[in-house]
Amino acid sequence: MRLEGFPREATLRDGRTVKLRPIQPDDETTLGEFYRDLPEEDRLFLREDVRRPGWAEEFIHTVDFDSIISLVAESQEKIVGNATLYRSRHGWSAHVAELRIAVARQFQRHGLGTALASLLVRHAIALGLEKIVAHVVDNQVGAKRAFEKLGFRQDAVLPGHVKDIRGVTRDLVVMSNDVSHLWEAMAALVSDYSPTMGE
Amino acid sequence: MAKTEIRVGGLGGQGVILCGYIIGRAAAIFSGKHATLIQAFGPEARGSACSAQVTVDDEPIGYPYVTHPDILIVMSQDAYVQFAPQLKPGGMLLYEDELITPDDKLPAGVKALGIPATRFAEEIGRRLVLNIVMVGFFAGSTGLLEFGAVERAVRDSVPKGTEDLNLRALRKGHEYGLEVAAVKT
Repeated sequence: MRLEGFPREATLRDGRTVKLRPIQPDDETTLGEFYRDLPEEDRLFLREDVRRPGWAEEFIHTVDFDSIISLVAESQEKIVGNATLYRSRHGWSAHVAELRIAVARQFQRHGLGTALASLLVRHAIALGLEKIVAHVVDNQVGAKRAFEKLGFRQDAVLPGHVKDIRGVTRDLVVMSNDVSHLWEAMAALVSDYSPTMGE
Repeated sequence: MAKTEIRVGGLGGQGVILCGYIIGRAAAIFSGKHATLIQAFGPEARGSACSAQVTVDDEPIGYPYVTHPDILIVMSQDAYVQFAPQLKPGGMLLYEDELITPDDKLPAGVKALGIPATRFAEEIGRRLVLNIVMVGFFAGSTGLLEFGAVERAVRDSVPKGTEDLNLRALRKGHEYGLEVAAVKT
């Protein structure tokens, strides 16, 4: 599905503006730079070794805008944020998507992650998905709060699931945004039983 | 616009009434016309026969019942069998072509156009927007109402948060309707 309404501009809380748009093949170099420049403590929480040569190219090739949908935030021709939605097209969790976000340190706590996440949550709903999941570490207070503002709630805590840069064991929090009520409302609307509809 | 009588038929749970409601709303609220809607459903909602009668006119409508529709939109074989013989000669049949097999008993001159609306709805992400695909198909194939009016009616009628998916369903049906109507003209 083509992403509509891009590129678009987002104004951050400190007044800076960034361009938000779908990732594209020629982002390989700048995306690699963005991930390599992340502080090690931020990179530790990523699932992949983003400093590995060729990682950015491989990642961009996996983005098909169907099962993997990825947006970037751009400022002064540099990527300063990346958000990706992963979903399975088959199986028992085909109604669920996972959201992963990374934001450059100097852009954190200014609403950029929220802006990216908000777009992908909306897109997930437009795809008919029912649940969006995100993982945060227990001490990522800002990220947790940002997800909560978008309707995410704590689903589970995996105790001692991650270790931070100092080797301190931390809990991994699974947060989810259950949007199935939207589809329940739609199902009720098409159920063809309300004698008051149209009044 | 001359008085146009439309019947929508299908099974409870396919969004038959909402389909008629959106067409009427697009006409009356967003196109400045007059419209009436009459809805009928079986004793059990889901899975039972269900239909809506919509009349659209430039003039006030004195009699809202549709006995011989100009346009019939059907989403189930039962609805087709029940309502197709009532179509006006030269009328238009819009049907879900993976659920309905038209026969040779249609009144003379009826233009029959099919759309795999259920499959389109599933590809878009939700089977339950089948009816919105049908609304788009109606708009594209008949040209009776401006697409913008229908789009606004959909946006105003569906639950908040589901607009994007519903509008995609509408556009898909509309595009298909334009294509099919052009081929059959």
